Order: sequence, then structure tokens, then C-alpha cells
Amino acid sequence: MVIEQYTITATPKYNFPQNAIDTVPLRRLIELSIYSLRHVQNQAVQLKQQIQQTVLIQETLVAQHPTPPVQPIPLNPKTEPTTIAAVDTSSIKLGETGKGIIIAVRGTTVWKRGRNYAYLRVGPFIFHITEENLQEIYKTLLKAYFPEQNPQGAPGFLQIPLRMANLLERWLQASLAKTMSNGIILFDGSLTAGTPDTPTQQLKEVLASARSMGNAVLAFTKVTTLRFNGCLLTEAFPAYRPPCLVEVANIKPKPPLTLLGEVYVAKLARGNYAFRLDVDRELPAQKRVEAVEKLLGNDLIVHGYPETLRLAHILCTFTANEVIAMQHFIQQRYRLKIIDRPDMHRLLFGPFGKGESHCEAL
Amino acid sequence: MGKGKATVRLYKKEGNIIEILSFPNENVEKGDYLLIEDAEAQKALIAQVIDVQFANIPGILEELLRSLPDGGGTIQGEDVDPLEIAPHITYIQDSRLLICKIRATVEGDSLSPSTSWLPSRSQSSIRKLPIATLIKLAKINGNLPITLGVTKENSLLTIDASSLDGRLNIITGKKETGKSHLSKLLITSLLQYKAVVVVLDLNGEYTGLGFTSDGKRNAYYNKIHVLTPAQNFKVAIKQLHLNVILNILIHALHLPGTSAREFRRIWQHLKDKGCLTLHELGEAIRNWNCNQNVRDALFSRYYALVNSGFFTDNVAEATLLEECLFKAREEGGAVIINLRNTSPIDRQIVVEYLLGKLVELLTSWRLKAVFLFAEEAHLYLRETYWDDIVTRMRHFGIFTTFITNQPDTIRENIYRQADNIFLFNFTNEHDLEVVSRAARVDAETVKSIARDLPPHHCLVLGKVVKDFPIVVKVRALDVKTMGETRLFFTGAHSESTSQASPVEPYSAGENS
Repeated sequence: MVIEQYTITATPKYNFPQNAIDTVPLRRLIELSIYSLRHVQNQAVQLKQQIQQTVLIQETLVAQHPTPPVQPIPLNPKTEPTTIAAVDTSSIKLGETGKGIIIAVRGTTVWKRGRNYAYLRVGPFIFHITEENLQEIYKTLLKAYFPEQNPQGAPGFLQIPLRMANLLERWLQASLAKTMSNGIILFDGSLTAGTPDTPTQQLKEVLASARSMGNAVLAFTKVTTLRFNGCLLTEAFPAYRPPCLVEVANIKPKPPLTLLGEVYVAKLARGNYAFRLDVDRELPAQKRVEAVEKLLGNDLIVHGYPETLRLAHILCTFTANEVIAMQHFIQQRYRLKIIDRPDMHRLLFGPFGKGESHCEAL
Repeated sequence: MGKGKATVRLYKKEGNIIEILSFPNENVEKGDYLLIEDAEAQKALIAQVIDVQFANIPGILEELLRSLPDGGGTIQGEDVDPLEIAPHITYIQDSRLLICKIRATVEGDSLSPSTSWLPSRSQSSIRKLPIATLIKLAKINGNLPITLGVTKENSLLTIDASSLDGRLNIITGKKETGKSHLSKLLITSLLQYKAVVVVLDLNGEYTGLGFTSDGKRNAYYNKIHVLTPAQNFKVAIKQLHLNVILNILIHALHLPGTSAREFRRIWQHLKDKGCLTLHELGEAIRNWNCNQNVRDALFSRYYALVNSGFFTDNVAEATLLEECLFKAREEGGAVIINLRNTSPIDRQIVVEYLLGKLVELLTSWRLKAVFLFAEEAHLYLRETYWDDIVTRMRHFGIFTTFITNQPDTIRENIYRQADNIFLFNFTNEHDLEVVSRAARVDAETVKSIARDLPPHHCLVLGKVVKDFPIVVKVRALDVKTMGETRLFFTGAHSESTSQASPVEPYSAGENS
């Protein structure tokens, strides 16, 4: 008798497809991080007065009059053993130097098999981004991660933390899609492509790889702007009893946006918590519903949200403690002199000044 | 903070509390002294660490929480951390806040208790101040050294015997922490400097002071005089001063005022007749023309005096106390009053007499001064004597050391006036609260350090250490241990039970 073999290879600690991952992009990330930091030695650094964590903006789709939904699709949890995996990344700006900014990115993959959760966390990778190296770093990374993709224009200073995190996230998603089989892969966000940080081809490839390995990709959006009859889509169906899905058909995205998933409103737990859920639209309708049912049967659902995805988010988020540690690292290793430039808003307006970050946000 | 680059920073000062940020590689513990030097001001602060806390690092709660999923178990995983940030995270997480109490300011070679200046936060250098250096700086060891033991840096803590002279001392701590051991150490050290010591020994613990642990005579043998009431310690009625006997009757035996007046007349009458004996005293009470209730009251006290066995008509029997004290006056010596088998009433009689006698000898300058060691004094010292001891008797030359494991039995005003406190471990919050009322110590130091003291370690506070609280491991003393707790599971009993245990309780043979 042949024991069923997974493509996921076992490590002494836990099961994760480490050996199957193409580690070149990871090496490139490390090299670029060190390379960028070398040029920051002995400079003065102004720490951000109000640390702002960049989370990926999740909703990029503008809906055009979605048609009234049909009846809800009731869900029956399927308990057949299925691996649930989730990916999330985060980035943060650690400070500013005379020439640029110092940012950190980190990504996490969490998976659940049986009753156990395990994770692989890569990073933090710290970069000193300047006007001079911005193009080089971004394009090198893009080439390492997605060699077939045509390099587009590099983002600006404001977008770079988010875009770097996005690249890392796509690479982690792609790795998972290629190495896992017959599982459920959870993405944070939607399956809308065609944005600068999610080129259509890139996402298509990830979804295709996942499908070829028998995986189903489910993307959860925590906050949506999609509305139905003036109501937020996620609040439009209070009467439907969970667990259920409500299909939102005929959404017409504005070009160049492309929708690579079927959009649903997922009510997976009691308590009126609903999320926008995109499921790979290339999967047959039955398989899409079945994937959600497997998720229900194999993962904890807290407040209508999968625990695996929640853990991925929690584990990649930078805590204040870690930010201090990273600042300590760059200060110790690269002898950065931390300077305390006064916050002009606070200085001029006292308690009425909202701080620099507020100004930037505006 | 040792030889390498110091990684401590002055963080905050509020009142005389200084908070210092320290990192895990610094080996700083409660009780350690730090020197905060401000080169520009040419001054330094001496601060003592009274607590070590985790620094309040932002995000620490999130850090701890996120390792736990909803199920509550630990989540397994691996971190690919190429830049090796994790050690920095641990480093930050484990950073500590040293809560320090400012003890003094060093300016040049002089010490002052001033804390009115503030050292520079950015420019000050902070380093550990070895206890040995502090002792030298504060000139704690004087001309009459008494080595109490070793500090945690293994340096000797030597105090000056003269800092016990004329002082009120308290030795306190919970049971079996080493209080009696320290008081024995102080007594024997005082004997070396020819001091006169009187010990009110409640449990007969000090009777072996003249012997080594293996029962041989030690260097103090000739200086230790053990007096046991009713045995080798008696008082001749003839030698008693009226005030002393009245004190005994009123305070120890609670004789009412009217009866005391009658007693005074009887005593005076017998003294005038020159027949002041126990027998005559009894007869006089019997035949005295007075109210029957007064007679009954006098008789009950008279029999209490007789039954104590402490009083005698034989003057030759009753000279030992004075003899011992006079002998001690010349070469130094300790009079141990063994109260072990003495009833509570008799204890009070003995102590009333003894204190009266000491005051008499001191006021007439027949004795210069006496160091009085009183164990669990609440068991024999009357209420009014507490104030007497700390105020009036001090001027006569009685310098008391109270030893107790129940700090609340010593009145608050005693703590307020105590010059030195030798504090052993206490875990009870109430006990620590009581001790912290002492004027020479701050409550935070007492509560924080005393709670963590291991057995035989003592926090020394007060004038003996020039108000620099120092923790010391009290040195061993080769004297015979007396007054040990009698145990049930010792000796023959435990042997017989250990032999009996392998035997089956009910063997087949027995049953048949």
C-alpha cells in the first residue's frame, strides 16, 4: 500500500513546503536589504514621531449597480481533512534619513492541518530607499519574483512600503499555490487585478498555479465599499441566517481593473458579521461553494473570519516593541544617529496640531 | 555596568526616586548601589536599587498575545530572520527599569544627604558602586569593628561598636531567619570591647554562649553569667528598695492604690523595726489593722512573691546579680537572665526587679552603661516601660536591643525612635508595614528588599550603616545552639518508625 504523498515535504518541526520554494527571490530580498542599508551608515535618522503601519488597502473595486442577489446559498461544513493556509504581509516606515526613508517589510504564511496551526514568517527586511536606489530595488525584486512580468514604473516614496509588501505577499502566495495541494488558500483582500500593485497577469498566474495543484483560493476583504441599494454590501442581508453565501453577480469593474474572482457576501458565523469573499472564478460554482464549506469544517471561524487568516495578519503586523528593536538594530549596526526634529505642527499649534502623519495623510 | 560599556540610562526622577533604564546584560539586583556621576557638575548621586521591574515597552502585550491562538496553545513556527532582528527584540523586551532610592550626594570626598540637584540625563555616567567602596566612603567601619558578615559581593560588612552605644536597636524577622544568631553575634562582639550586656532570655537560647558548638568552653566562657530566677538568682527582701517592691506589686501583680498605700506602711514599719523578712512580712499583713479586702489583696500578692521562689531572707544567696554586673564592669561580661522555665507573672516580677536594680546601679554610677538585649519583650515588659526604655532609661545608660518575630508587638513610637534596625525576611505585608514606620528607613526599601531576603541575610538599616541600607549574610558563630525547637520526628522515634515501616501491618501469621 502506498501512503498518500503530498507535495508538501515534512520538516522536523512542522509540515511546510520549504524545500519546494524557490529561494532566489528571498535571497535577492536579503541582498537588497543589506545593500541599501550599507549606504546609510553614519547618517542622521529622524524617527517617525507617530509610527504608521501600512496595511494593504483591500478594496480596489468600484461596483456598477450590482444586480439584486438571488437566494442565499446555505453552507454545510465539510470536515474532510483539508489544509488551510493564509498569507499576509505588512510594512512600516521606520524613519527618514537625509536622502530617503527607512522601511521594513515582513510576510507570514500560516497554515492549519488537523488541530494545529503553524507559521513561517519571513523578515523583517529593512530597506533604505532613496531617490537613487528606488527604481533599482523595486525592479530587481519584481524581476526576481515574477521574471516573466514586464517591469513597470517604480512607485513613489509614499507608495513604496506598500508596494514592497505587496511584492512579498504575491511571492508568498505564489509559493504556496505552487507547493500546496488540495487545500484552501486564503488571501487578505480581493481578487481584483489590474492595479499597479496587482498586475492582472501576476494574479492570474498565482490562481492558475493554485488550481493546477487542486487548491481553491478564497480572498476575504475586511472592509468593502461595494454597496447594494445604498447599503454596504456586507450589511445588506441581515435576515439571512449564517453560515451562508450571497452571490453578488454582474459587477462591472472599471477598466483596467479585472475581476478574477466571483464575489460573494460571506456570513460564516452568527453575530451579523459579513465579509466580501472573492473565490477564484475559474473554479466551477459547485467547487467554489465546496471550498467555503471545507473552510468551515477545518478552521476556526471567529466573528465570521477564518482564524488562519487572522493569525497571518497578527503575526506579520509590527508591534511597537519590534519597531523599537528594528530602530535599535539600524542604530547599532549602521551607526545611525537618531535626531529629534521638532514636529512643526505640534510646535506651532500645540494641542491643536494634529502631527505630521495627519498632514501626510491629507 | 561592569567593565564593558555601560548600557544604562537615567530615565526619570520623582522625589528621591530615580528610575534607570537597564538592559539584560547588566547584572543589577535589588540592594545594589549605583553611582550616577555628572562630570560637569562634579557631583555624583549614590542611589540604591530597591526594585527591578520590566520596562514598560510599548507593544509588549501584543507581542505576548499573538503567540497564542484562540485555542490557547502555543503556535509552532519558524522565523526566517536574515538580519537577525530577533535578538534585538528580545533585548528590548527584557529591558528593565531599576527603581532606585537616592541615598546621598558625593562631592569631592565628602558625602551629604542632599538630593536637591539633578544629574544630567544625557551626560551622566552610571556605574555600580561596590559595597566595599561605599563602606569606605561613608566611613561605616570605625575604631571598634564588629564584622557582621559578608555582602553579596563577598566583601566584609564591618560596623562600629560605638554606633550601637547609646542607641535603640531592633532585630526583627520571621521565625528561623537568624535573629537570635545575629543578637548572639552582637553580644559576643560587644564582650570583646568589655561591654556590660544583660540578656532577657525567654527561651534559654543564650545560656550556651560560653561554649563552642561541640560543647567546649570558648573565649567568652568566663564572661557569660547565666542567672536562673529562683535558682541562682534570688533577691533578699532586706536588700529591696521600697520603690522596687512597689513597682513589682503595682505593675507586675496589679495591686490597687489603696492596698499599695497600706503595704508602704507595713514595709516602713518592718524596716524601722529591722525585721524585714518574708516571714515577718506575712505576719505583719496578717496582724495589720486594715480593711479585710485590703488584707486579702495584700495576702494574695504576698503569696505570689513567696511562690515565685525569687525572694529570700538569706542575703548570702542574693548577691549574684550585683557580683556578676560588677565583674562584667571590669572586663566586660554578659548576664543572661534565663526566663525559660519562669511563669509569665514571675517573669514580670524578675524583669521589674532587674530593671529597677539596673536603674539604681546606673544612677549611682556604680555601673557606667548596660546593653540590654530583650527577646520578645512584650511577654514580660509592662506597658509603661516601653516609653521608659526609649526615653528615660537611655539617659541612665540602658541601651536596648529588642528581638522579635512579631513586629506589631513593639509599639510604633519605639520604631520611630529606633536608631538601628536589623531586618530579616518578612513576607507578611502587615509585618512589613509595621517595620516600615521606623523613622530611619523608607517604607519602599523595607517592603521591597526585606520580602526577598534569604534566611540568614539581614537588611541593616540606621546609624550603624550611616543610613545606607545594606544586605549582609550574617557570619557563622561558633557557639552552642540552645533553645532549639523540640521536634517530634527526631531521634529514637523516627528510627523506630523507619525500621517499622517495611513490615507488613498485618501478616498472614498474625491473622492466623
